Amino acid sequence: MTIAPKAARKLTMKQRYSALTRDLDWEPSYVPAEELFPYTRFEGIKIHDWSKWEDPFRLTVDAYAKYQAEKDKRLYAVLDGFAQSQGHLSLTDASYLNAMKLFLQGVTPLEYQAHRNFAYLSRHLNGPGPRFASLCQSLDEMRHAQTEIHTLSNYNKYYSGFHDYLHMHDRVWYLSVPKSFFDDALSAGPFEFLIAIGFSFEYLLTNLLFVPFMSGASFNGDLPTMTFGFSAQSDESRHMTLGLEAIKFLLEQDEDNVPIVQHWIDKWFWRGYRVTALVAQMLDYMLPRKVMSWKEAFELYFEQQMLGGLFQDLAFYGIRPPRDVEKAIQEKDYISHQAYWILYQFSHAAAFTTSVPSDEHLDWLEEQYPDTFPTYRKLWDKERKNVENGGRHFVRGLPQLCQVCQIPMGFTEADDPFIQCQRETIFEGERYNFCSDGCKNIFDHEPVKFRQSWLPVHQIYQGNCGAADLPGVLQWYGMQPGDGGEYLGSVDHENWLAWHDMAETTGGN
Amino acid sequence: MQFELRTQVIEPTRKTFSHLVRRYGDRPASRYEEGTIDLQAVTNFHYRPLWDPSREIYSPDYSVLKLTDVYAYTDPRQFYYAPYVTARADLHEAFGSTLDYLEKRGMFDRLPPAWSSLVQDILLPLRHYEAAAQMISSAAARFGWGATITQCAAYAAFDRIGNAQMLSRVGISFGGGSADCLDLAKTAWIEADTWQPLRKLVEETLAERDWGKALIALDTMDRVLYTLFYTHLDDVAIASGAGSYSLVAQHFSSWFADQRRWLDALIKAWVADPEHGATNAAAISQTALAALGEIHEALCPVASAADALIDDNCHITLDTTVAQVRDAYAALGVNLEA
Ligand SMILES: [Fe+2]
Ligand SMILES: [Fe+2]
Ligand SMILES: [Zn+2]
Repeated sequence: MTIAPKAARKLTMKQRYSALTRDLDWEPSYVPAEELFPYTRFEGIKIHDWSKWEDPFRLTVDAYAKYQAEKDKRLYAVLDGFAQSQGHLSLTDASYLNAMKLFLQGVTPLEYQAHRNFAYLSRHLNGPGPRFASLCQSLDEMRHAQTEIHTLSNYNKYYSGFHDYLHMHDRVWYLSVPKSFFDDALSAGPFEFLIAIGFSFEYLLTNLLFVPFMSGASFNGDLPTMTFGFSAQSDESRHMTLGLEAIKFLLEQDEDNVPIVQHWIDKWFWRGYRVTALVAQMLDYMLPRKVMSWKEAFELYFEQQMLGGLFQDLAFYGIRPPRDVEKAIQEKDYISHQAYWILYQFSHAAAFTTSVPSDEHLDWLEEQYPDTFPTYRKLWDKERKNVENGGRHFVRGLPQLCQVCQIPMGFTEADDPFIQCQRETIFEGERYNFCSDGCKNIFDHEPVKFRQSWLPVHQIYQGNCGAADLPGVLQWYGMQPGDGGEYLGSVDHENWLAWHDMAETTGGN
Repeated sequence: MQFELRTQVIEPTRKTFSHLVRRYGDRPASRYEEGTIDLQAVTNFHYRPLWDPSREIYSPDYSVLKLTDVYAYTDPRQFYYAPYVTARADLHEAFGSTLDYLEKRGMFDRLPPAWSSLVQDILLPLRHYEAAAQMISSAAARFGWGATITQCAAYAAFDRIGNAQMLSRVGISFGGGSADCLDLAKTAWIEADTWQPLRKLVEETLAERDWGKALIALDTMDRVLYTLFYTHLDDVAIASGAGSYSLVAQHFSSWFADQRRWLDALIKAWVADPEHGATNAAAISQTALAALGEIHEALCPVASAADALIDDNCHITLDTTVAQVRDAYAALGVNLEA
């Protein structure tokens, strides 16, 4: 053997990191590389030199474990304290928890999906640099799934709607919106996943998706969720740098990658943006104490930060803003109103409750949306009369769903709030319906994939959802009395009033 | 609105989530259970994978090893993320203090020359083995069926890259702060005759698409390799005045004891499965038997190289270890007689 030279050349931080991560890799010679990495060719992406991947962060396993363990210790201490002190009674109102029900049912299972598929990348990308970065993210996403469950677990003990979120995520109509989104990403190849989730979800749309929930929590007395949000922030900033490095790396490796990546940006912007319709209505309608309107959030987190910042930089690579971005900008004035109206009418078949906004709430909405809201206000005025006459509106039939985003077809043309937007494609003799040009474009590019969509309404008609009648379907969904419907007079509402009576009479003891 | 601290106790309306009540009855659930059981989607997948349209996104069919009820298996360590990273923070801190001590006292320089060569020629190349073990474990974390198994595999994957990093840090220390010794070790892994049979075996195991079989093959290799290098050589090192080798090795043998816990429980569950038990046992036996023969052969040149350096009987230990692994499998209900 050779004895190590005494005056050895010390490693720089970068060299040390590389010695601990990418240098562990070697070029296989007993098995062809194509056999060890079978999934990195079919998408048409060309990578010439994996070593050109710039590590988005430098965290070794020991530092990761130490740092994350400390964060979790602090987070769980807050969760325990909140549970012990009956902190849930200090929320602004029980109806606030509708936002968190949606979060646990719709978002937490996606964290878990991300965990699984970043594990796929940590095995199946050829380059050791991105493999290790993906491995760290895979663990982070497991952390998010579990800390979200543990954060909301305490609410489940006192409130409806949380109790069967996993069962529901696989079945319930509005949850097929986020589920199909992530199934779409997992069924794509590793490079598309990097752009779909690593870039679009974790960078382009991350603030729009997460900040509204976390700020909503802090404005409404939800200390656990707020603490979770802060605690996840440092993970998320690593995820953002990974997403950014991923797109730059693909674009720099070969010019032929540019149109493929552009298509994925177009697709995943629209796909993700459609999921944010659920966030939009949450922000404008579900928070007793308002944070900001969807329109403001969209302008700040998307138009300013992304269109004004990110896409200026990406132009250098020949990348333009997402294809259907203009439509999203138009929709910022009305998407939340239409989305909530859909949920309001179908909440008897959901695991959250809805209600007619109060006068104060309607005034706030009108301030935020002076041009568009007067139209919707008339709708609510009319509905309030229905409620006063004992005729709270629930739609008894089943809606038609968009074949791609799976949201009930309730969005309108941008220039007319009374004309429903509907697009269609005939593929192999079969007609498919879409809520928008964005969704139609996605289908037309991958009809073989999107004709497979497990559409909850079709499935009910085909008899795959337990029963043909609503009570039967709700049972198959795992719904219990109190999970859905009208908030006023609901189980949660009644309990809330009773607990607060009790709290006020016994308070100060 | 702010309320005073309450003395009144409000009875919870539920003890835990419905899916846990269905499984365990109406009792409070642990954080491990709430964070793990039923977490993976099992039905109504929307699209078939573009990279394998013959399967669903998640499917039990990514392996021949199956459980009738995947959640009948749970991690005996009850590791969800928080206790997992806490345990590993402790492990790495302990390892870090060992390394500090070794550096401060110049312990690597004080190694007997033969042991110094052993660290360079035998110990350091194993970092590449650990890196491959990460990839094999990551495949199980993606393709496995059921969140209890995949969670264990995911943490094991991170453990393996952690082990590779611990060995690399030994190499950097040993090389006086440079990567020279790591470079030598890598060249040995890629070129030296001693390592080629093992590297070939590792690459072939990486190519195995059945995550369950790959896990069994890796584990069989681990059992032999860890016993030889981290248990047996630890003893020999103490007797030969190579204390620093022993101090390093202990961290790996105690990690391996932890790794055994979830894997042995999993193998037991596979073998005892009411529906798939017999097929599982046969597949495990076949895979482990082949892997055991291969690792035995692949480690022969490594054992010889070690024997040449420290004049020990690694060769004999290798043979006995192989026999012990057969016994260990037998104790788990898997017969490994050829
Ligand atoms: Fe996350
Ligand atoms: Fe993330
Ligand atoms: Zn759509």
